[in-house]
Amino acid sequence: MRISVLATALVGLAAAPAVSHAATVVIGVPGWPSAQVTAHLIGQVMEAELGVEARLRPIGTTELVGAIDRGEIDIHPELWLPNLETQVAALSGPDGTLTLAPTQVTASQNICTTRDTVELTGLTEVAQLADPTMALWFDTDGDGRGEIWIGDFEWSSTPIERARARSYGYDETMMLLTMEEDVAMAGLDVAMATGRPMVFYCYAPHYKFELHDVVKLEEPPHDPSAWSVLTPEEDPAWLSKAQAAMAWPASTYQLAYATDLAQTAPNVAAFLNKVTIDAETAQAMSYAIDVERRDPADVAAEWIAANADKISEWVQ
Amino acid sequence: MIRVLAAITALIVAAPALATQIYNPNTRTWVDYDPRQAARYYQMHGSVPKEFRRQVVRFRTAEKPGTIIIDGDKHFLYLVQEDFTAIRYGIGVGRDGFGWAGIVEVGRKAEWPRWTPPAEMVARDPEAAKWANGMPGGPENPLGARALYLYEDGRDTIYRIHGTHQPWSIGLDISSGCIRMNNDDVIDLYNRVQPGAKVIVLMSGAALYRGV
Repeated sequence: MRISVLATALVGLAAAPAVSHAATVVIGVPGWPSAQVTAHLIGQVMEAELGVEARLRPIGTTELVGAIDRGEIDIHPELWLPNLETQVAALSGPDGTLTLAPTQVTASQNICTTRDTVELTGLTEVAQLADPTMALWFDTDGDGRGEIWIGDFEWSSTPIERARARSYGYDETMMLLTMEEDVAMAGLDVAMATGRPMVFYCYAPHYKFELHDVVKLEEPPHDPSAWSVLTPEEDPAWLSKAQAAMAWPASTYQLAYATDLAQTAPNVAAFLNKVTIDAETAQAMSYAIDVERRDPADVAAEWIAANADKISEWVQ
Repeated sequence: MIRVLAAITALIVAAPALATQIYNPNTRTWVDYDPRQAARYYQMHGSVPKEFRRQVVRFRTAEKPGTIIIDGDKHFLYLVQEDFTAIRYGIGVGRDGFGWAGIVEVGRKAEWPRWTPPAEMVARDPEAAKWANGMPGGPENPLGARALYLYEDGRDTIYRIHGTHQPWSIGLDISSGCIRMNNDDVIDLYNRVQPGAKVIVLMSGAALYRGV
């Protein structure tokens, strides 16, 4: 399968040489704020400094990795690990179609609640959610179980959160909700406005930590020897076999791109290998765009102007 | 603030039915708010309880002004405004909830909308059967003074935000689906909202009654 796809791609390249590929670089844009910030930022720098046209294409993160493998998209602005480690292991490596840029940004993934909830319920640890009495604080529909948002439909973290809920046992006491992030964040806004208890999957960097007083729940430290989360593709019984009643592994994200960019657009590949946008910058820019409602292009342009030295290093 | 919330939640835990409750300042207790009490309250005060009346509240959000957020659990509809504020309106929701949460938009608006009862209502309710072919807009029409039709991907969802000829019912889970507001409020909302406005229905309360 892979060989036939590659063969087709090579025929295509031979018929239409590198220039068309290098002239337009497609950046996938997963649906969360910091990835959108990075996509806009690198797109603008590439257009201004590298003479390529950057096209942004909204797409779910897991699907995006597959699209890079198929040659449909060139860049993933924010690939999270360990969330996609199985896919990365399959597609990267010496002959792989996916290359990870070297700079890793430290991120975090947790279960969060609000400060009001902590003071009202005494909830401080994830494990407490398996207690039916604690779970009742989060019941809004009267079915005797609480509700917890565990992520968007397309996020790589969502099946892992499902596995964690099962491992902790709160899949029995809480309804696990998957839904677009905007709905969950509006729910957080309302919880803050009314003081209603709320608990939810959270990740950083994210503007919500600047917008609201959000508290990360405590968990046993991550133990690699005890952690086991397979994907549904690896084992149909992945959920029942999961062992994940502990903190996430140290989470990071990084740029990733189609390996063939090194040949078709070496200046772009070299640039991607140097780009570093730290978590604080991503979160501050996300706040400016998502909360202050500033134009992403303006925010990116402002940052580029204020960081000319850094940009010139990246595009050397 | 926290103490009051503790009182609410303690009552909720004790009463799994999760009935709407309002605060009685005379007895300083939270009491169930059912249709009988709601009708009596309205008769005595000429309005719904204070928390369900239209008011500007502090509301920190990343949603842009003009977005509607519907909280079927607390019976509030928020219209996001500038500077981290929102106009909060009291709403009534259906006895059976909506059965969905998510993001839709205002597809169109109508003044004094015509109401056509659904077939199942015609079958079970002789009053509705009289209007099987549609009831003209007016004070007796259950859709009230205005309706905002909610669309998803350009298609009508069958859900509406509308007025009511039973203003005492705001704050309750009664009657058929949709989101009800008193007529003054739905006219106010109608005048502030344009077609295309984003509408977020939260994953709580009535939205979950049939599962999301």
